[in-house]
Amino acid sequence: MAEPALTAASGPTELPSSGNGQALVAARGLEKSFHGRLILKGVDFDMQAGDITVIIGKSGSGKSTLLRALAGLTDPDDGQIAFDGKIVFAEKKRTREWNTVRSEVGMVFQSYTLWPHMNVLENLTLAPKKKLGLKPAEARDRAEAALAEVGMAQHILSRPTQLSGGERQRVAIARALMMKPKLLLCDEITSALDPPVAAEVLDVLRRLKEEEGIAVALVTHDMAFASKAADRVVFFHNGEIAVNTTPENAFENCDNPDLKKFVDAVRF
Amino acid sequence: MNYNFDWDAVAKAFPSMLGGLGTTLELTVITIAISMVLAVPLAVARMARIEVIRWAAQGYIEVFRCTPMLVQLFWIFYAMPALTGVTLPGFTSAAIALTANLTAFMAEAYRSGFQAVPVEQVEAGRMLQLSRFEQLRYIIVPQALRQQLPVILSLNISLFKDTALVSTIAVSDLMFVSNTNAAASYRSLEIFTAAAVIYFVIAFPASLVTSAIERRMQNTAAPSPKKNRSVLAGMVPGSRPAVSA
Ligand SMILES: Nc1ncnc2c1ncn2[C@@H]1O[C@H](COP(=O)(O)OP(=O)(O)O)[C@@H](O)[C@H]1O
Ligand SMILES: [Mg+2]
Repeated sequence: MAEPALTAASGPTELPSSGNGQALVAARGLEKSFHGRLILKGVDFDMQAGDITVIIGKSGSGKSTLLRALAGLTDPDDGQIAFDGKIVFAEKKRTREWNTVRSEVGMVFQSYTLWPHMNVLENLTLAPKKKLGLKPAEARDRAEAALAEVGMAQHILSRPTQLSGGERQRVAIARALMMKPKLLLCDEITSALDPPVAAEVLDVLRRLKEEEGIAVALVTHDMAFASKAADRVVFFHNGEIAVNTTPENAFENCDNPDLKKFVDAVRF
Repeated sequence: MNYNFDWDAVAKAFPSMLGGLGTTLELTVITIAISMVLAVPLAVARMARIEVIRWAAQGYIEVFRCTPMLVQLFWIFYAMPALTGVTLPGFTSAAIALTANLTAFMAEAYRSGFQAVPVEQVEAGRMLQLSRFEQLRYIIVPQALRQQLPVILSLNISLFKDTALVSTIAVSDLMFVSNTNAAASYRSLEIFTAAAVIYFVIAFPASLVTSAIERRMQNTAAPSPKKNRSVLAGMVPGSRPAVSA
């Protein structure tokens, strides 16, 4: 099994870095199967700090499984993951380093993300109060700032049921921001939204990248956003990364027939 | 049929019956309070990833669901001393038996409440580094309690009525005191009618409240999440329990 340089044994890891950015995420040989079916077939995945990576691919191709592996929600069967230069998963388990960096990884889901029995402020401040030991006033300040970033400051005392789908997703992003992540994993966060609302939510992600330098890994079928805002486009096909390139190469000078077919199908 | 009612018998018995009601309520409150707490770990165990834990929890629940409450009560009061060598007072035995029983039923109510919490909500908590306990305490249990409130209330009303069984092990609850008075005054009809009225006066408002809550929940209910997006069933084919011990 010849894997690219990234082994737990090799001490300070040689991380693949392209250009000037240091790799924020470097995953090597990720494998995962469910019920005997191989879903991730040795995936290598890199992300630079502050980049927006858009992940596209047919449903069932393993996109969510990859995000969940990076998030620590699902452990791969094999492979390694490094985050910010630290190996967080190797030899089939989370390393101790994972605990030091896990707060830097946030995730937003497609639906049912907010806790409906708490208002927006409570949704945002629960974890910072419990895990970062913030005082209520500090937590509230931070919540106000996070909500301002997603354009939801006026809804701080609303209940999730009073918000529209797009507003909920923006609050969910704000809640993830409370832990000061370097990477935001977004799994089809706009799939249930109307296109104009989806565009607003995605625009928040772009602002976060530009203003806060937060890296975003986004699974979406929104090709317009991908070609406009992505630094990298990753095409998942049958549990493998078939293409990892710039949006121009992915959409204009595409030489992968599967990707071409997929893009045409999504665009009609 | 002409029966001469003698309500004086009730008037005479009434003070002692109220004393009995005190015992009934005490037993009810203690049992409910302890069961509602103990049912949380039991429900969690019932959904555990580890089979032995899950089976043990399920075994416990089935034992209490599939045997008569009276047998459970007698077993704790008469049979257990033979095992342990310790004879517990009637009230304590009654409290233990009723709590053990209600906990089993309550755990099942909690479990369906837990399962109605979408898995994403729990995973969002995990992503924010909330511990297993914090996920339960702040995300899962509050929603489960709300969702199952009508069921929990009706379990509690049943428990209140079922406390009458403890009169059989000489705990001087409302039923026991009524029985004593009925025997002494030969006025069973009046005394037991009065006892029924007392039980009813307490249970009926609680029952009305339960129905009102149920109705309100049905009217305001958000479309309930699909079963396969629940905490227990995971988000995709194949089960991926998010709550486990
Ligand atoms: N927890 C799980 N249990 C069983 N099968 C799963 C689980 N998670 C994902 N799968 C399966 O893995 C495949 C890929 O899923 P997923 O990563 O969600 O794909 P995508 O996000 O690209 O649509 C699907 O066939 C799905 O059914
Ligand atoms: Mg998916």
